Amino acid sequence: MTLTTSPTAERRRGLTEREVVSRYLLIQTVSFVITLWAVLTLVFLAMRALPGDAATIMGGLDASASQVSAMRAQLGLDRSLPAQYITYLSDVAQGDLGASLRERRPVVRVLVDRMPVTLTVASMAFVISLVLGLGLGLLAGLRPGGTFDRVALLFTTVALALPEFWFGFLLILLFAVQLGWFPVLGLPPQGLTLAASWHLLLPAVTLAIPRAAQVARLARARVLEERSSDYVRTARSKGLRPWAVAKHIASNSLPGTIPLLALELGGLLTGTIVVEQVFGLPGLGATILGAIGARDYPVVQGVTILAVTVYVLVNWLADIMQVVTDPRLRVS
Amino acid sequence: MNRARFGTVLFVIIALAAVFAPQLSGYDPIKPDYRARYAPPSTTHPLGTDGLGRDVLARSLAGGRVSLVVALSATLLTLTLGGVLGVVAAGLGGVTDTVLSRVFDALLAFPGFLLILLVVASLGGGTLQTIMAMGVAGSPVFFRLARSFTRNEMKAEYVTAAGALGATRGRQLMRHAVPNFLGSMVVQVASTAAAFLLVEASLSFLGLGVPLPTPSWGNVLQDARSFLTTQPWAAVGPGVFLASASLSFQFMSDGMRDMLDRRS
Repeated sequence: MTLTTSPTAERRRGLTEREVVSRYLLIQTVSFVITLWAVLTLVFLAMRALPGDAATIMGGLDASASQVSAMRAQLGLDRSLPAQYITYLSDVAQGDLGASLRERRPVVRVLVDRMPVTLTVASMAFVISLVLGLGLGLLAGLRPGGTFDRVALLFTTVALALPEFWFGFLLILLFAVQLGWFPVLGLPPQGLTLAASWHLLLPAVTLAIPRAAQVARLARARVLEERSSDYVRTARSKGLRPWAVAKHIASNSLPGTIPLLALELGGLLTGTIVVEQVFGLPGLGATILGAIGARDYPVVQGVTILAVTVYVLVNWLADIMQVVTDPRLRVS
Repeated sequence: MNRARFGTVLFVIIALAAVFAPQLSGYDPIKPDYRARYAPPSTTHPLGTDGLGRDVLARSLAGGRVSLVVALSATLLTLTLGGVLGVVAAGLGGVTDTVLSRVFDALLAFPGFLLILLVVASLGGGTLQTIMAMGVAGSPVFFRLARSFTRNEMKAEYVTAAGALGATRGRQLMRHAVPNFLGSMVVQVASTAAAFLLVEASLSFLGLGVPLPTPSWGNVLQDARSFLTTQPWAAVGPGVFLASASLSFQFMSDGMRDMLDRRS
């Protein structure tokens, strides 16, 4: 949900740049809160639409009708939908995501336990896709039609068409089975430590390659746009060295990839679902899949709320960052 | 040969192979043959056999039928759902436009794969459910595209002229505005089909998409996962088919975008 105003219109009303920016930030923040609320409401409705409620699942097959209704009263499921909705919103706002039906402990504890693996893989993947994507895009865009550009184009096309999990298979076959550099499956036996995080390099690369391709494509397009602008021609005709021109182009064009990077960063928390399955990692993705299979709805809901909140939050931050890093967006 | 043409030729080859699967391989893709388990590639089984002795080539070709039909149906569904509602929103404006835009915006606030996973899970998994989930999850992009294209076209002079000649608003929309931007939507359609092929495979790999024993590229690869280190061939064949099919759509999409860019 986006509420946008035109900064130009506001300037005409005699506002200073500072006021325009703070007004923009305020509107973005309000829009963030509304989006989050809408999404939490959707999650609430979706969870109520799933077959079977928590009481029937906890009771199991041999629970009598009276046991189930007692359980339902205990869980507050016998109250009206609006009443449940209010409780849900206030619980979520206080960070209370309920209790796992299968593990019989708070969902928040489950999430905290499984988070480190996912966060490690996701952040490694993000860094790889950032560096690889921006690097490829910049180098390809600076010399369009050149050999490097052609190779980069082929790479991004193939990378986008590769099935993520199959690419993971190939990496396992080559680096774990043939070369024996990495473990085939799972976490290091001593647990996840900083020193052992290289164990997670293969899953991180699997995630990073298609994302890097997307970043590279957008970065290349932005660089191409920037290359044809007047100040670049002026700089060239003044005899500025090519790398100095390239630096100007880079600093003006690469911030344009922030929204895409935010989408990818925000999506990585659940983007690991498939990869965790391929590499046998016990992260958030494995947690939500297991919870779907076991109908452990509070956990499904918990992971969803976490993932969606992070997704919306990161995108909101990216909007703000773009305005902060790019003064042109404030004036034009 | 330009990329769009190359993509089309590649797609036609894969689609023909999938359609004529029974004639091409001669093996039953579903019936187990326990005497031929784990056979490496040979002249009788060009891509080897899997854990139940089924010919991997036969399963890859038969899986292609299912995967292509699922991905293309989902693409058609998402184009129809998002596209029609986008034109309706732009055409009617007012409250309809606001409500529809807000609904699709809220869908966009979900990470894509999570949304598909949740919809499939709440529908109970299966082939039809996979198509519906992808159709819903893909629709916001088409809604936005169709809405903004329609709004732009409706402002164009030729549409105003048609209105001045007495064309109704419905006729302005359907006879003038919509046909003019359909070509531009094709780029998005092809890249969506490429993505949906991969999504179907991922869902089936997770056991939520096309249910066994019906082969699809995703669940054939899921089968192969268990024997990856000892029988890698079972994973290579279907993966190459899947990647080539997705690549063919990607090429079509890129090629058509280049053509449209050059024209404008």
